[in-house]
Amino acid sequence: MKAKRTFLIIILFLVAGMAGCSPSMNQNDNHSSKGIKSEEENQSPEVVKLTFWRNAGNSAENRVYEQLIAGFQKENPTIKVEMAAIPFREYELKLRTELAAGDNPPDVMTIDSPNLAAYANAGVIRSIDAYMKIQGGIDDIPETVLSGMKYNNEIYLAPISESSTAMFYNKNLFKEKGIPFPSEDPDNPWTWEQVLEAAQKLNDPANGIYGIDPGKGFGEGEGPAYFKMPLLWQFGAEILSPDGTTADGYLNSPKALEALQFYQDLYHKYKVAAVELPPDPFVSGKLGISIEGSWALGHYTNNFPNFKLGEDYGIAPLPKNEQQAAPNGGWALGISAKTVHPEEAWQFIKYLISYEGIKKYVSATGDLPARYSVAEDFPELNEYPKNIFLVQSQKYSINRPATPVYTVVSTTIRELFEEVGIAKVDVKVAADRAVRKIDQAIQQMEEKQ
Amino acid sequence: MELKKSITPKKNLSISNKFSMSYGKSEKLAGIAFVLPIAVLLIIFMFYPMIQAFIISFQDFNLISQKKTFIGFDNYINLFKDKEFIASLKHSFYFAMVVVPVQGIISLGLALLLQKKSRINSFFRTIYFIPVVISTAVAATVFELIYSKDFGLLNAILEALHLPTVNFLSNPDTAMNGVIILGIWKAAGFFMIIFLAGLNNIPADLYEAAHVDGAGKIRQFFSITLPLLKRTIAFVAIITTIDAIKLSALVYVLTGGGPSGSTETTVVYIFRTAFEQMSMGYASAAAFILFAIVLIISLIQMKLFKSDVEY
Repeated sequence: MKAKRTFLIIILFLVAGMAGCSPSMNQNDNHSSKGIKSEEENQSPEVVKLTFWRNAGNSAENRVYEQLIAGFQKENPTIKVEMAAIPFREYELKLRTELAAGDNPPDVMTIDSPNLAAYANAGVIRSIDAYMKIQGGIDDIPETVLSGMKYNNEIYLAPISESSTAMFYNKNLFKEKGIPFPSEDPDNPWTWEQVLEAAQKLNDPANGIYGIDPGKGFGEGEGPAYFKMPLLWQFGAEILSPDGTTADGYLNSPKALEALQFYQDLYHKYKVAAVELPPDPFVSGKLGISIEGSWALGHYTNNFPNFKLGEDYGIAPLPKNEQQAAPNGGWALGISAKTVHPEEAWQFIKYLISYEGIKKYVSATGDLPARYSVAEDFPELNEYPKNIFLVQSQKYSINRPATPVYTVVSTTIRELFEEVGIAKVDVKVAADRAVRKIDQAIQQMEEKQ
Repeated sequence: MELKKSITPKKNLSISNKFSMSYGKSEKLAGIAFVLPIAVLLIIFMFYPMIQAFIISFQDFNLISQKKTFIGFDNYINLFKDKEFIASLKHSFYFAMVVVPVQGIISLGLALLLQKKSRINSFFRTIYFIPVVISTAVAATVFELIYSKDFGLLNAILEALHLPTVNFLSNPDTAMNGVIILGIWKAAGFFMIIFLAGLNNIPADLYEAAHVDGAGKIRQFFSITLPLLKRTIAFVAIITTIDAIKLSALVYVLTGGGPSGSTETTVVYIFRTAFEQMSMGYASAAAFILFAIVLIISLIQMKLFKSDVEY
């Protein structure tokens, strides 16, 4: 009898468990009914719920997003925004699985601009071309920024802030070795030759001091592509052909090989760069010259108050060889193709990228605004050192290639620089291998279509 | 039931027979009820996804677009031509070939040292077991600091001993060894406990008999301990091989597969292909190749270690 009762109890639990499972199991045919369902939900309180996913940034960024959402909801009492801030490292992974599983992709999400082509090509985000052209105030957005928001000549993303990099140098080390400081004029950078000369004087491996870190070491994710592609551009090379069909003759062009050879020589011939550096080497005086992002300024002021701009370190525009070139791009806002509330989602984006929205955002985070009008309103953006980032981003920045296979391009660039910098592979061999990998990916994509 | 029938007195036969029937039936049902929850979970979370993945491995399947096209064995054929995939297999196997014997010998050695019950031994057992409990991410982060070239503990010691310093993790030739050391440090304690259990299962009178016959400690080890430990050794060898070939988390945190791809193991490669390159079909095919390899190795090991000694 006792056994029977236990059995019944177990069956009961199982049934309860199955019941809990079942809605998620027939969710495949749920898409059609979803619209109706959410309309039903909304009928009683007449509030539209928007889900908004973004990658969690620093505390200032998170706080200002909360304020912006509160402001938006005040103006639009019928729309409620539910924000999920997801840690950077797992953000893309989570977003992709959610888009793939297809159950509940967020209505609004942030996307790193170079990945746009992949998402747009897969049809998971919605074109906001019409909205942007009529209500987005796109005349106020720099062309370099806007072109990063486009795929097949249609706008898919709305930018809020921009980024750039610059050459940071340790003034104390420069003084010690009697090296003159580089110019602060954004249009007048050092050449890579001058940088190498300074790095050789600064270099002191016996005391653990290295001349230069030319591209933020060897990291993971998108960082390497962001920091290392500009070196290729500065030497006059390109990654892909303008129509995006091949890397052959571009990534392995003589100019690209010259850039890669220069990069390899920094590590292996002149030995002014080190494969491995202690944490925060620039702040601790172990590194003479470092290429850092515009966000490093705020990071240093907040975390290393004793390391002062002007006294301990200075900022100069990125070095040039054949031309000046800087990276750009940032996290921009997009609307899911599956949303049932595109109108409300656009209202929300419009609020975020409005003059007031961007102004509030950049005054909290210190980022570069994506609008000319906002940039003009911040006097410090037009003065040293921030004018360096601003001018570079508006005048000299180049978009990372917009191709559906960008994820392959990004990984390949990372591996290429690792092979050349760490493993000391011959630059021609490494570049040819990289070209083959990218071209193969492009070919596979074209076969599919 | 036969047994019960013979024992029960004749008078109660009909009743007891009925009782034992329903008893047997409810036993059976209870048995099913106990198996059912785990069976259902396994089917939903293991077998169903595996079948799905198997189907996907024959498709050209981009993670985020819903377009799927059947392409037969193309994924498998391309994988065998893919240098990166082959390299990742090599990295996984190198790791396994070093870790399985070295870790096995170290944990058996520790177990032999700590076999006798005493207060000091239980203290050391705890010490050696601690790395198992520490989270992988924490251990990897700490080891990254220890290995660091300019200020790491390892190089500080080497320098004090006037030995040449090494930059373990940033040199493609040595990075895998850095991962191996961490891997062994982290898992040896666990297998030490398994070996301890195996050692304690060996009857003490065998050693006494051997002692009487004049066998020394070494002879005892090779003639009694090792043969009788065969099952435990088989278990440890199979589990460590599978674990080693599936290595991913340590690498992911410690080196991220770098420098220059030198520590990219197969599982890290599969993860990258699926979620960074978004080629789900290709990654699933790679996963099945790995699955087949692990299965074959395990079968061979089981056959090799088949124990014919009973005690």
